[in-house]
Formats: sequence, C-alpha cells, structure tokens
Amino acid sequence: MHELKIAEELIGIVFQVAESENLKKITKVNIQFGKMIMIVPDIFRSVFEGAVKGTIAKKAKLNLEILPIKFMCKKCKEETEIDDLLFVCPLCGSNDLEMIQGRETIVESIEGEK
Amino acid sequence: MEIKIRKNVLDRNKNKANEVRALLKEKNVLMVNMISSPGAGKTTLLEKTLENLKDRFKIAVIEGDITTDRDAQRLKGHGVPIVVINTEGGCHLDSHSISKVLPEFNLDKLDIIFVENVGNLVCPSHFDLGESFKLALVSTTEGDDKPIKYPMLFREAKVILLNKIDLIEYTNFNKSSFKVDLNNVNGKVPLMEISCTKNIGMSQWYTWISNQIISKS
Repeated sequence: MHELKIAEELIGIVFQVAESENLKKITKVNIQFGKMIMIVPDIFRSVFEGAVKGTIAKKAKLNLEILPIKFMCKKCKEETEIDDLLFVCPLCGSNDLEMIQGRETIVESIEGEK
Repeated sequence: MEIKIRKNVLDRNKNKANEVRALLKEKNVLMVNMISSPGAGKTTLLEKTLENLKDRFKIAVIEGDITTDRDAQRLKGHGVPIVVINTEGGCHLDSHSISKVLPEFNLDKLDIIFVENVGNLVCPSHFDLGESFKLALVSTTEGDDKPIKYPMLFREAKVILLNKIDLIEYTNFNKSSFKVDLNNVNGKVPLMEISCTKNIGMSQWYTWISNQIISKS
C-alpha cells in the first residue's frame, strides 16, 4: 500500500500549487508513474478520491499514465523498452543494463479554474 | 487553465534521505536498509550478526515495526543501542522517521546502523531512507519466484541473502530457477546462501559486511 503515502505526497503538492495560483477548483491532475513503482491504478484512484472529498479537488479527474521500463544496454549501446520483467537486452542478450525510465513518480501538471 | 509542475511526488522523502545520507557520511557511519517478507529471518539474521560482530564494531539498530516492539525485545540482550519506530499501520519506513530517531544515537561512536524495515517486499523498496545500501533477504520457504515478482528490490539491493537453506529439501524451491531469475533482474549482485539458525554460510556474510564497514571511509 505504498499508494497511500504517494497519494498523500501528491495531494500535498497539488494543494500547494493550487493555493499559490489562486485556483478555486481543480479539474484534472496529470501524473506519470514508472512501471517499476508497481502502483495499482484502481487503489491509487480510490485513495486519491477519498482524500480529496469535500475539497476544491473533489471533482478532479486523475489522469494516470504508466511509463514503460526503458533501458540503455551498456554493451551494444542500444535503447530498448521491455514489456515483461526480464532485464535482458533483446538485441545482444547482455544483462548489463542501465535503467533510463520506469522509476518515475511525477506530477506533470494540474488543470483548474480561477 | 493548465499549470505545469513537473515534480517528483516523492521529493520530500528524497530530500530528507539526502540529508540523512550526508550526515551519516560526515560521521562515517554505514547504514544498511534490510528488506524482506515477514518471517524471512531479518531479526534472526540481526541476532546472529550482533553476536558475531558486536565486539569488533560499534553497531546500532533501528527496528521498524507496525505495532509491537517484539523484535527489539529479541535483540535487547546484545547491549547495542536499539530504537523502535512504530509505523502504526504503515507498511514501510521513510526518511523522515529515520531522521527523527537518529539524534537518539551518538553517531560519533558508531560504525554501522542496521535498519530492519517493515516486512514487505514492495513498499519499502520505493522509499529511500538515506541508507548506504539495501540488503534483500529471501528465504527458501517463500518460493523461488521473488526476484521476478519484486524486481525493484532485487535490482537495487547491493547484496542478496537466501536464508533457510537448510530447509530447502522440504520445499519446492528451485535454486537454479531462482538464480536464472535473479540473474535476469540483477546479474551483478552477490548472492549468499545461508541458514541463520543452523549457522550455515554465515562466515561469508560476516566477512562481506565487515569488509563493507572497513572500507566505508
């Protein structure tokens, strides 16, 4: 249930930005999580919705994008995206890979009305 | 209207973790974040490690527990400083809770702090505590599919301990399949096969962790 803590941190940032921008209403929250973070979107959504009840974000749509895992192979220097969790370069078979995407927990933007 | 933020949601935890890391570096103290499932043997590993290394190194323990202090009670007899963090339902420790308890230790008089995280393979691996490195402990009774199911932890750990190796014949744990999966997730990490209770393979662990302490400065 790391979803709980991540949602709590997200909501803190969202309200801070909304306040400094004088938003009266938050309509959308755009976030991106890497696949390695293993967020269960349904759990994340229900935690978020529960926490924003009765606030200016009560009707906010949560736009959650899961970013695939991407690697740079240190041997053949090629960049690849993997679907399964086999951390092996599909081109040369090396397992000496540097992860360049997949660990993100990013709040990209919020949308709202003044 | 859209307002761009582009910020890491876990920045607050990351920043505090970096503060903890900087403080420990200044004090020349190693911190190990021990992560495993419940019942894999973290506390037993700590008991044996304290027994073996407490005369050689100055050790402290931070016990992360959901509600009780039972793990800390088990470690008390060893005479090393122990602080308990009750997460009150939380499934992992974070850098703020570590930062709060560090003043309870005299860091000038420590070589290493073992942090026993809450038993869980998912959540603890996402929260940086400011540790020097993560240790993953897995046991033969849990099954051999853990590396592929929880790649984040096995990819990030600096060392993997496979505990309860004495019980392997009573389980369906397939060691070669475990090794293939681990190699696919993290081909470079050292793996040690141990039994804490039967004292199998423990000397390689004591040597490895001692070398980490000695080479930290």
